[in-house]
Amino acid sequence: MAALGALAEPALTADALARARQRAALVPDLLVEARRVANTAISGWHGRRRRGIGENFWQFRPYNQGEALSRIDWRRSARDDHTYVRDREWEAAHTVWLWADPSASMRYKSNLGEVSKEWRSLIITLALAELLSRGGERIAFPGIADPFSARNGAERLATALSHAKTMPALPDVANVRRFSDIVLVSDFLHPLEEMLALLDRLAQRGAHAHLIEIADPAEEVFPYSGRTEFSDPETGERITAGRAENYAEEYRRLYLARRETLAHHCRRLGWSFTVNRTDRPASEALMRVHMHMSGPGAAA
Amino acid sequence: MNALPLAFGAPMLLVGLITLPVIWWLLRMTPPPPQKEVFPPLKILAHVLRQEQTPNRSPWWMTLLRLLIAALVILALAEPVWNPRPVTLSGNGPVAIIVDNGWASAEAWEQRRETAERLIADAARAGAPIYLVGTAERANAQIGPFDAAGARERLQAMEPRPIPVDRKAAFERLAPALAPTPGARIAWLSDGILTGDAEDATKSLEKSGAASLLWYRPDTANLLGLTSVENGADALVVHAIRPMGAGGSRSATVAAFDNKGRRIGEASLAFSPGASVAEARIAAPIELRNDFSSLRIDGASQAAATRLLDDNTKRRRVALLSGAEADVAAAQPLLSPLYYISRALQPYADLIEPRTTDLAQAVPELLDQKPSVLVMADIGKLPQAAEERLADWVSRGGTLIRFAGPKLAGASSDDTLLPVTLRRGERALGGTLTWTAPQPLSAFAASGPFAGLATPKDVTVTRQVLAEPSPDLPEKTWASLADGTPLISGETRDRGRIVLFHVAPDAAWSNLPISGVFVEMLRRIIVLSRAGGGEKGSSAVSLPPYLILAADGSLKPPAPETKPLAVGGDGAPQVSYDNPPGFYGSDDALYALNLLGSKSELAPLIQPSLPFPVSATVYAADESISLRGPLFAAAAMLLALDTLLMLWLGGHLRLPRRKTAALGIMLLAGFFTAAAPFSGGHALAQVAPSAPDDAKPGDQAMISAVSATHLAYIVTGDKAVDDISKAGLEGLTQFLKEKTALEPGEPIGVDPARDELSFYPLIYWPIDANAPMPNETAIARVDAYMQGGGTVLFDTRDELAASAAPGGTTPSGQRLRAILDSMNVPPLEPVPSDHVLSKSFYIMPDFPGRYRGAPLWVEASLNGETRQDRPVRTGDGVSPILITANDLAGAWAIDSRGAPLLPTVPNDPMQRAYALRGGVNIMMYMLTGNYKSDQVHVPALLERLGN
Repeated sequence: MAALGALAEPALTADALARARQRAALVPDLLVEARRVANTAISGWHGRRRRGIGENFWQFRPYNQGEALSRIDWRRSARDDHTYVRDREWEAAHTVWLWADPSASMRYKSNLGEVSKEWRSLIITLALAELLSRGGERIAFPGIADPFSARNGAERLATALSHAKTMPALPDVANVRRFSDIVLVSDFLHPLEEMLALLDRLAQRGAHAHLIEIADPAEEVFPYSGRTEFSDPETGERITAGRAENYAEEYRRLYLARRETLAHHCRRLGWSFTVNRTDRPASEALMRVHMHMSGPGAAA
Repeated sequence: MNALPLAFGAPMLLVGLITLPVIWWLLRMTPPPPQKEVFPPLKILAHVLRQEQTPNRSPWWMTLLRLLIAALVILALAEPVWNPRPVTLSGNGPVAIIVDNGWASAEAWEQRRETAERLIADAARAGAPIYLVGTAERANAQIGPFDAAGARERLQAMEPRPIPVDRKAAFERLAPALAPTPGARIAWLSDGILTGDAEDATKSLEKSGAASLLWYRPDTANLLGLTSVENGADALVVHAIRPMGAGGSRSATVAAFDNKGRRIGEASLAFSPGASVAEARIAAPIELRNDFSSLRIDGASQAAATRLLDDNTKRRRVALLSGAEADVAAAQPLLSPLYYISRALQPYADLIEPRTTDLAQAVPELLDQKPSVLVMADIGKLPQAAEERLADWVSRGGTLIRFAGPKLAGASSDDTLLPVTLRRGERALGGTLTWTAPQPLSAFAASGPFAGLATPKDVTVTRQVLAEPSPDLPEKTWASLADGTPLISGETRDRGRIVLFHVAPDAAWSNLPISGVFVEMLRRIIVLSRAGGGEKGSSAVSLPPYLILAADGSLKPPAPETKPLAVGGDGAPQVSYDNPPGFYGSDDALYALNLLGSKSELAPLIQPSLPFPVSATVYAADESISLRGPLFAAAAMLLALDTLLMLWLGGHLRLPRRKTAALGIMLLAGFFTAAAPFSGGHALAQVAPSAPDDAKPGDQAMISAVSATHLAYIVTGDKAVDDISKAGLEGLTQFLKEKTALEPGEPIGVDPARDELSFYPLIYWPIDANAPMPNETAIARVDAYMQGGGTVLFDTRDELAASAAPGGTTPSGQRLRAILDSMNVPPLEPVPSDHVLSKSFYIMPDFPGRYRGAPLWVEASLNGETRQDRPVRTGDGVSPILITANDLAGAWAIDSRGAPLLPTVPNDPMQRAYALRGGVNIMMYMLTGNYKSDQVHVPALLERLGN
């Protein structure tokens, strides 16, 4: 019987080019799927629901004296005796930092899940990039892309990702400014203290973070039994369990406790914490994050 | 040997058990390989696992399991035996095995054989030569010495025989053979039944110089034997014995079987405690008892428990002879002297009567039919020759019953065929001129043949013949009157008997013949008589074996070595190797040779006393069980269990429930698929094998010949004639298609010698004098075709020549006659005007062809009645032969364009049309028979239906 889980790609090599090529090959698929996912979430995403600088029509209103003549909408004004001005919707540019965990553990995929965690995290990241770009937000990726605004933000981010060198296990959040959003997509299997320190750092900077935990079902339910040797994909450390099923209960308790710690931390800070299992659709997490971003707290 | 009945064939291998600790250590070193899994949240898991010692060794129970497997394999290799049988014969001297393979060993023969096999095995282990002697074997059978293989072969060939053992002969053969090699050990596998020669036999062993005798004594309590059978008055009495000294009561069932082996009667046989004899009474009508062919004790499969019955117990044939005129019996049966006798004997015997009244012829005629009993009613004087013949018959076993009467009373007293000397004249009692009253019967003697019969009170005798007093008269008197005068006297002459009733056989002298006791008396006398009367001469007769009793008590066809049985010589025939018990003789006169005589008894064999040690032992079944197989099986099963556990520990057996269910279903499906050939295979097998291709050359031609009606013609060999025949039949075929519902296929030319003719309703045979004469086979086949319902239309085609020839016989006509000479030709007649042939389709006055004038000959309907009101002659069947000279085919013949091929003579188109119509009529006649003649009933039928 084959092992339940495996790394979706071979272990990381130092060959940057090969890796870039692999990523590049991955990107078009990712983009297509990310667009598909984003399309389901795009409705009601636009604008700030008020008049302002923007490209989209908001309302016609009577012309007030003193306004620039160029703002008069002559087409509308010609229909009656009044003069109208076309107001556009206010669209405030907002910087959203996106981060997908690049660590080796993300490449894990068990046969209970549909895709590897990395695939899922990139999908969500790029889908968010697509959504945000369409909404005109500025998007950025720590260590890879500084904030930029472009209609094809997802493509540009993907290009940047595919050309990225080795990335650190945790994002460098030095450039994250106040009022920025940051979306962290990861399995959060890093040491809990480091993770909490990162979140605290972000909180100090006044950023608003959205945590999306990508989890493989195998990690959550621990379906192993019998004599099993477990190995860590990052450190290569091995542990052999005589009767793996004996430890399932304890393991699940610890695993969920870690998740609860993170979630509680986020709740305290007013952030969102979303769990997305790879056997569930990515759009679930996307919708949830979107809801949080566009919700009342998001505008602050 | 030891407390545990366990022994090892190779105990040295048990040393291997020492290696178990090593195996244990090795097993502890090699845990089952773990399932390798990548697991990112390892740190969390590590947190959990840190508390426990990670087991990197096999669980203790798995180690134990494997140690157990290893131990089992080592034990199995050491060849353990449970209940090892002890060695019974030790030492190196020769071993002599004496097997009593007589009838008494049959039931437990397997036991004997196993014991002998064990002894042979023991001897083979010591390498000793083996002597094997059967006491019921042929005297010249090989006794050895054999090696082990040879002895086993001999033992396999040895079988129990349905004969008594001959110990003396066997022992005396063995003793000299053993003498040169002293120290032999003798094992006697006895049957436990004493024979007369047992003591002599064991004595002869003294000279053998043997070292020891191992005496096997079986349990003989279950042996039963049937010693004799008496066909009593109302039941068949079977006497049975069992070994003497057998205590306790014992009951068994004796069943009677007829000669086809059907069970037609049974009775229970009960031995009272301590008794060694018992009897069973099979109460059955005498007709049924006469059918008894063998008796068998249920459940006893040995020869002594079966008793064969021959004619000696069968129904008797009784000849009746009277001096009365023949027409008396026919005209006034009640006055016939034999009337009451025949009425009395009818149920119990076959009665035969002479065809003539001439005693000189009647007596030999009756005696030739081998009666058991001859009843002579009131015959005073026999012709000299007949009397001599009768006396001879009596002396050879016949039973003569005579009745008194006026003739006997008046006969001279020199009659030799009487048991007593009679006074001349009869004595009348109770008559007008007598003082004495009619006499009743006195009680029957307790020891006579009529012992036990109730004395009838109402029988009185008014007239009798009296015997001259003599010293032996009381002895000869079987029944007497109240005044002491004999009523029935009897005498044994040689092997036969003469009985005289001193009264007449009718009711004139007494009312004895019309009483019930008369019937009983006659039956008693007949039971006493011998079957077949005096058929057996004093010379010995050699009877071939007919059915021989096998050792298990069943009847088998005789073995080739069974010799004919000499009967009738000095002494009764004895059962021997050459003459095993069974039926001898031919189907109609069987002689039953039985194993036990009426005086046989079964005494237990006593332990022999000999100068060397004699140890008695009993047969015991070999109960040793080799544990090697079971141990290996257990090891294999544990190994399988170990494998399953390994898989389970390795996580390979981690099957979700629905997969398990699916797997189960698959396994079940696989099982049923595998089982299908056994269960449904029968049904499949009937379909699956494709029918063997039994096509034969010529099948296609036959199929095409029968798939449509074809006109056929005989190929004469002359091409011109055959072409005309073919063209003519084609023309007729065409005409039939146009005018009638019949659509024949292409005409077919047949060779009567080769082709199958039965496919064609009509065969046209143009006779050509120039064509070769058909051979015998061809004519025979055509004849068979005609007998089988076919019709041949012979056409001599020579009307023109015949009318010109004055004699009327043309060459073709002569040829036709030559052909018909060898056939069964019915009487012929020209088609009469009312023949159905002239009305079957067209109304035809005559049947012209190319020529007109010659008649068409058909089978004469001799019995057909001609009636004025019926236009068509009745009659069944179709004429098998039609003969014409008008060359029908010539008139029918058309060419490929449909134009006539030959002109008619005279050239008249109507004649051709009539020829074709005639052909249609012939074909319709062939196919519908007398249907047209039956059609004449239609108006009458319709009229009847209308009413």
